[in-house]
Order: sequence, then C-alpha cells, then structure tokens
Amino acid sequence: MNESNYDEIMQLLCDRLNSLTNSEATVTPETNLISELSIDSIKLLNLIMEIEDTFDISIPINALADVQTVDELAGLISRIKSTH
Amino acid sequence: MSSTIAKLNAPLTQAFDFQPSSELLPTPTRNTLTQRLAGFDTLTNALEYAAQGNTGYNFYDAKGRLRSVLPYSSLRNKARALAQHLAGFNLDRGSRVAIIADTSPEFIELFFACRYAGLAPFAMPVPVNLGSHGVYVQQLKGMLDSSHASLAFANLDYINFLNEAAKKSATLKWIGTADQLEELPAQEIEPQSNQPDEVAYLQFTSGSTRMPRGVVITEHALMCNLQGIVRNGLEIRPGDRSASWLPFYHDMGLVGLVLAPMVTQLSVDYLATRDFAIRPLQWLRLISRNRCTVAFSQPFGLKLCTMRVRESDLQDLDLSCWRAAGIGAEMIRPETLRNFAEKFSSAGFNSSAFLPCYGLAESTLAVTFSKIGNGFDSIQIDSKTLIDQRMAVKLQAEGRKYNEFVNCGRPLPGHIVKIVDENGQQLAENKVGSVLVQGASIMTGYYNNPEETQKALKPNNWLDTGDIGFLYEGDLYITGRRTDVIIVNGRNIRAQDIEELAEQQPEVRSREASAFGVNDADGTTTIVLVIECRLTAISERHSLIKRLQQLVYMAFGVSCIVELVPPHTLPRTSSGKLSRFAARQGYIQRTNLNNELSVVESGDR
Repeated sequence: MNESNYDEIMQLLCDRLNSLTNSEATVTPETNLISELSIDSIKLLNLIMEIEDTFDISIPINALADVQTVDELAGLISRIKSTH
Repeated sequence: MSSTIAKLNAPLTQAFDFQPSSELLPTPTRNTLTQRLAGFDTLTNALEYAAQGNTGYNFYDAKGRLRSVLPYSSLRNKARALAQHLAGFNLDRGSRVAIIADTSPEFIELFFACRYAGLAPFAMPVPVNLGSHGVYVQQLKGMLDSSHASLAFANLDYINFLNEAAKKSATLKWIGTADQLEELPAQEIEPQSNQPDEVAYLQFTSGSTRMPRGVVITEHALMCNLQGIVRNGLEIRPGDRSASWLPFYHDMGLVGLVLAPMVTQLSVDYLATRDFAIRPLQWLRLISRNRCTVAFSQPFGLKLCTMRVRESDLQDLDLSCWRAAGIGAEMIRPETLRNFAEKFSSAGFNSSAFLPCYGLAESTLAVTFSKIGNGFDSIQIDSKTLIDQRMAVKLQAEGRKYNEFVNCGRPLPGHIVKIVDENGQQLAENKVGSVLVQGASIMTGYYNNPEETQKALKPNNWLDTGDIGFLYEGDLYITGRRTDVIIVNGRNIRAQDIEELAEQQPEVRSREASAFGVNDADGTTTIVLVIECRLTAISERHSLIKRLQQLVYMAFGVSCIVELVPPHTLPRTSSGKLSRFAARQGYIQRTNLNNELSVVESGDR
C-alpha cells in the first residue's frame, strides 16, 4: 500500500466524517463508522459519491460489506485507486 | 483487512478492464415487429416472439455510458444454450435455482435459461449495507434452505458470499458463475414447452431472515398480471421505452421492468440500483436522453431525486417524454409527489404522468392502478372520524385536522379488492380495515411453508395483503401497513427480525423486545426498539444500546432509537404476546410525539 496515498485518503475521510456527523468525538482510523458515527444510508451515499468524485474511482458494493472502521474504508479506497 | 483485499482482487480487475466497444449502440425504441401485449401463455413463448424483433435490454454504468446490450434475439439464443448446460444436471422439472441478482445481462440470461430448462429460478439480493457481511450470508442461507435450491449462481463479485452461505446446504448440487456453467458439458435437449400451471419463479419477500418466504408464482398468474399491467395499467403502445434502476430481486424491478417490457417487446435502459442511489440524476438523464416513456419508482426514489438535484442539472433534462411515472411499493405521500413535480416541472416533467398503483409480490406485482394520464389524485380525510370511527369522511370544514391519502385506483380486470374487519367481515365503502384481494394473479402460496401460506390465503383464495385501507367511490386508498412491517427509505423491514436480533443479546430475554416505526411530520420513518431491561449500571445500559444500534445497522442499514424501560412496561395481549401496536402507543405517549395515525395502522398479525 502506498503510504502517502493512504495518508491522504485518511485525512480526507476524517475531515469529511467530522463535518458529516457533527460528532464531538474526533474521528480516528479505529473509529467505527456504524456504532460510533451512526452513518445512515443517506449520509453513506453522500460520502461514497464524494469519495468517488474526488478520487475518480468506483467503489463496488460487495466490498462495503466488509467495511466497519475508517481504517478499513481508507484501505479499500487506497487499494481500488492503486488498481485503477 | 488483508482478507478483504484478497477477496476483492478478482472482481475489481474485471470491473476496470472492461472497455466498451465504441460502436455499442442501444437497442432501438421502434421495433420491426408487430407489438403483442402479453398475449402469450408462457414466458418462453413470449421471448420466442420478442426475439424476432430488434429491441431488448441495455445496461448503463454510473457515468451514464452504455456498457452492454442484450437484444431479445441474443437473450433467446444465450438462454437456450445455457439451458442445455443446465440440462446436464438432470434435475426434476420445477427444481429451484438461486441467482444473486446484480443488474446485469447474466442474471436475465440465467433466469430465462432456467425457464427453457423447465426449472424455477429465483433472485437473491446483493449486499447493500456497511459491514453487513455476516448478516448477508445468513440471509442468502435462509433463502437457499427454504427454497431447497438445487443450483446457485453468482457473478465474481458475489461468489464468495454465496460459497459461504452454501457451506452446509443439504440440497445444493452445484454453485458457480454463468461462465463456469458454460464450461460444463451441454446436453442436447429439445426444450419442452412450459405449461401455464407450472411455477414460473419464486419471489422472496421481506420474510424473517431465518425463515424467509418464497412466493410461488405460476406462468398463468404471471401472464394474467402482466396483461393487466401492460394493457390496462400502462396502455402500452408502439414507441414506448422504459428506464429502470429498480433491483432485479424486487417484484417491481423483475416483473414490472424486466418481464413486462419483454412481453410487449419494448426496449429498456438499466442503471444499477447502487449507481442510482449515489447519483439519482443518472436515471432522469437516461429517461431524457433516450426519450423513455415508462419508468417506475418507489416514493423514496423520487425523494432522492428531489433532494439531490441542482439547478444546473435541470437545464440539461427534458422529461416531457415521460408519460407513465409509476409509483408504488410503499405508502405514497402526496407531498413527495408534489415536491418532485415542483422541482422537475422546469425540466419538462408533466405531473399528469404520475401513476400511483398498489400491489405486492403475493399478487405477482400489481393489484390496482390509477387511471393513466390523469396524474395523482388524493383526498383529505377528517382525522377525528378516521380515528374514532375508522371511517373515511371527506374534510367538511376548514381548520379541522385531516389526513391526506393518495388514490391508488381500481383493481386490474379479473381482480376484486375488499375491506374486512378483524373478524373477516366485509366492510362498507369508506370504512377502514384490512385489504384483501382475489384474482388470477394471486400466488399459489409460500414455498414449502403451509403455516405462513394459511395465514395469508383465506378461504376462496382471498389474499390478506397485510395492508390497511379503505375504498372510496370504488377506488383504493392505503392508510398504513400493519405493524409487523416497518418501511424505512423504501425498504421493508420485519419488526420480528429486529426483535430477534435484540433477543439474541444475553441481557435481553425472550418477549421483552418490541420494534415498530414512528413517523415524523414529513413522513420519514424511524425504527424504535423498546427493551425491558434489568441493567442498572449506566455503562452497561449504554453498551447495550450501542450494540443494538450497531446490530440493527449492520443487518438493515438503518439507524434506530433504542429505549430501555423497566420490566413489565411493554403491553401484552391476553395470550402473553407483546402488542407492537400498544408498545408504539406507549412510546408515543412517553415521548409526546404528535401527528401519529396510530389507530388507523392497528392490527398485529
């Protein structure tokens, strides 16, 4: 995994998630998207659209079934980007 | 994480290596063939006819580029070829075949291959929620088990989930992709013609995760429903063209937007459900660009479009071609339609295209249609009379509280709708009660599930729809669902499934959890889970709430409110059963929620 690539993605995700959820808690790689941020389906769709537009990728839905934390999401994006 | 990456390798490579031919053109709208409106006795006969023309199915990607084209002529040839490979399994006629239904040509090819081989296909869903891996596998397993499926198909994206789900299956003889099927030896068969009384397919509904219910639909029931839809509901004519984002594993997507176009030899333009959900405007762009005339959506889909559109998007759209904007599959709120019409009128959308309808998988798809071309019609009903007397009376005076309901129209020919009370006695017009349907489109039952079948099919084959409503001047109005199904963002969720999730927690005893939906003023539904709880430590209570919210999210993709109450708070019926209706009333009182139409939606099944 390309480190700078991953870091860039992580930074963007944390920024977006912080504003999306208005949560007081700081978003970290270990943050659980479901239990800690309560990302509902509409917020999730918005987030995916932003990610896809920003990185010019397409996230397959089968992959999201194995994503629970910010780190897992960042890893997924990074991997899709590198195979793109 | 590393296992996730390993699993992703294959499908991703495939997805990105695909380069569409620059010469790819969609199938035309105008057919070379004389149109026949579902005048066939079986699906394969309908396809044999459609294959003589030049129309068919077209698949678009998230950016609106045409990715593959499947003319009916190619579909027929491909399906017949695949059927010969299926014949190699020597299965009994009517054996069930499970197919994970991505929006792809492969699904349709396999579906028709099954029919040519005399097998009964059924569509299984794709996973849609974050972190849903485990729950999704359980869901597939439930369907494979309850259908006694002999074969199961998935494309590369989903085959790993399918393999996991099939691990302990006692009935499955083979699992694989369509490509793998083609590598198996073919057996020369002269396809026997199917009979109208044979099973055409199974349709899984929102049954519980552990024991889902597979609706059994015969060729005859299917064709009766299709005839009603295309002749009476939509008045299909040459020059029509459809566009759809509806999943192939839902009755509206499969029957309404895959089979109905085929039996009328129309072309269809598809967008994957996921792509629609992320960029709903792509669906409208398809309609606009390809001059589509017929496109259906749940109200939630229209809401998404209204929410996401920007003024700049509107300039490029011309929706004046859209003459049948079918709306169904969940309660229709007039506001949703008005907002959509207001937003898109400048893009040429004509509100007379709105076509509210009512139906359910147990009646193949459609039960009633409003009159095409008239737009939607609604009435304002006096709230007090509705709640006190369970009767629909038009609002007489200004200033009184009212509820507005959308007219869902009249039953298709050969079908009757009646409203009954709790004892099954037919009610007069304007009285609110359970909606029952009788007619040729009704299922023969739930597959291998006499208990559930008996609950749904009453004497003389009256289907209890599980919905509540009234008839007014002969038209059907739906006022609510029974409390056993909660509809959130267009998805049906069984209250029982949520309660079972809760009861699997060590802190929660059986029959001490109750789940229901509450609506806010703009019609958004939120799931509430009330738990009788003995925990006293705040940290333990907090941990239980968090865990339950996470479990519900992973299973159903929705957030929920969890309320912990002292033991014996939840109201029970005389038999000791929890009453969701009463639990909901109690919650509403505790939280002072207003505008709740609780009495109208009563009736635990």
